[in-house]
Amino acid sequence: MKNKAFIGYAVLFAFLALFPVVNDPRWLTVVTTFCIYSVVALSLDIVLGRAGMFDMGHALFFGMGAYITAVLNVHFGLNILWALPLVVIIPALFAIILSTPIVHLRGDYLLVATIGMNIVFEQALKNDLFGLTGGPNGIFGLDATVFGFYLDDGLTIYYIAFFLLLFTLLMIRNLEKSKVGRALHYIQEDPIAAESLGISTRFYRVFSFALGAALAGLAGFVFSIQYAAVSPEAFNFMTSVIFFAIVLVGGKASIPGILAGTFIMFVLPEIFREFATARYFVFGLAMVVSMILRPEGMFPAKYGKLPKYVTED
Amino acid sequence: MDIFLQQVVNGLIIGSIYALVALGYTMVYGVMKLINFAHGDLVALSAYIGLMFYTQLIGMGVMPQSMVVIMVFVLTALVAAAVALLVERVAYRPLRTAPRLSAVVSALGASMMIQNGIMLIWGPNITIFPSDILPAASWTVYGISITFVQAAMIIITLVLMVSLTLFINYTKMGTAIRASAINQDVAKLMGINVNMIIMIIFVVGAVLGSVGGLFIGMYYRGISFNLGWIYGLNAFIAAILGGIGNIPGSMVGGYMLGLFTALIAGYVSSSWAEAFTFILLILILIVRPTGILGERVAEKV
Repeated sequence: MKNKAFIGYAVLFAFLALFPVVNDPRWLTVVTTFCIYSVVALSLDIVLGRAGMFDMGHALFFGMGAYITAVLNVHFGLNILWALPLVVIIPALFAIILSTPIVHLRGDYLLVATIGMNIVFEQALKNDLFGLTGGPNGIFGLDATVFGFYLDDGLTIYYIAFFLLLFTLLMIRNLEKSKVGRALHYIQEDPIAAESLGISTRFYRVFSFALGAALAGLAGFVFSIQYAAVSPEAFNFMTSVIFFAIVLVGGKASIPGILAGTFIMFVLPEIFREFATARYFVFGLAMVVSMILRPEGMFPAKYGKLPKYVTED
Repeated sequence: MDIFLQQVVNGLIIGSIYALVALGYTMVYGVMKLINFAHGDLVALSAYIGLMFYTQLIGMGVMPQSMVVIMVFVLTALVAAAVALLVERVAYRPLRTAPRLSAVVSALGASMMIQNGIMLIWGPNITIFPSDILPAASWTVYGISITFVQAAMIIITLVLMVSLTLFINYTKMGTAIRASAINQDVAKLMGINVNMIIMIIFVVGAVLGSVGGLFIGMYYRGISFNLGWIYGLNAFIAAILGGIGNIPGSMVGGYMLGLFTALIAGYVSSSWAEAFTFILLILILIVRPTGILGERVAEKV
């Protein structure tokens, strides 16, 4: 079983690493987007799949990362490298501030509160907050020059996105095996039992929000470089809904599931371009049908009540 | 002062729509513990269907105007009820025993299907309602002008709400609905057909929502395929504010939210109204995690 997963990942990474051989700019863009969106979906999975909190406003942190990069670069003329630490720290701080008062809410109430945060964010962007966010059109003309290299060719950006995905997967693998990962797992199974074992549910829930936000912010950084522009539509509530659906259609806490979900939601539509207007109709149908057929997701995470390595030896 | 009173009247109008739509969310949530995301889009669909019936019936030219309007309301309610039953049967019933999040995704999927189905049929642009559906009369009371449409909306909403309250509290079916909301398994033991109850609440919610959808069309005149998200989300907030699952709570929540948005739009800014609504919601949830009239739910131990 372990070998099968190993081979699967090896094939996937080899494919992604060698993909640019195809040398088709349109497909390179599509696969770059796949890498970035996968990172966002995986970061949402930390909150939704692992900590079990209904977060339907995750595009907020994704957008925050992108907008921080764009504002610093375009309005303040700073090199994009200056934005790199900030796109991790600021979304994480915001996640801590925003989630601390609400993490104890019951599932559906939390869901609505997070939708609300996303919509407040979207309105702030559209209303040109502090004259920095550029209103409904967003911000154009990022100058992504790093050490004299101008990052505008698809290949470089593709490899940045690819390494971001690798980094995320490594981090999630470490999270799974760490104390935090186990704590989140138990909190999801039974918060009261976890609390009575001395696990601070509030701390770990806020922590998972912060970690998810930091990763999403990083993805936003790469996203803004890829398009050299940001606009509110890319980070609206509908985007959050689609990420939410990806995690659940793919399978909570299941990396293959989430990668497959992202592929279906973002890459398949590129293949079937001619159905562009009916795209969301088909999405909706796919969501209903896949949930009826596989309520646990396409590739549900395969563990019992306890992670395997606890019972193995 | 006049502006204030005028905004209050506007608030009551928007509040009526929110309250009507919110009841559909709250009843389904009360029994099934499921956010019926498709409800808002059903409201949008009702507006389009109603307009279609209106043009057809007027085109036939055999009925007086008042009869046409009544027919439009009745036919739209029937179609909305049928669609709600279909959505329940296809998207929700197979998932009753599945994890709760699966049902949420299925609801979102159903919502996207209805919304984009409307777009594919009627197009992505704004569709205009004719202005002469209801008489254009208006009255001025103490310096506030009230149009016929506004008065009709407030009165019809109140009548529907009183009827619903009487139905829930004083009929056998209403008792069965309340029993199913408390505990479905025990309700089944008592001989209540819970499947039937769920179908009834979907129908009642859809009928109230269809009236809300027609009001949106007659009052704002312009309808677009995605209006379900906007009104649905606001109505859902209204339900949460009042305490979701609590019928009087949703009515209070609807009117409160309507007044709040009208006053924000009138005195602060209409482009930030949505943001203020959500900030209000989050603040109320921090203080009262189950809404204003929501019951305290004991944590399972």
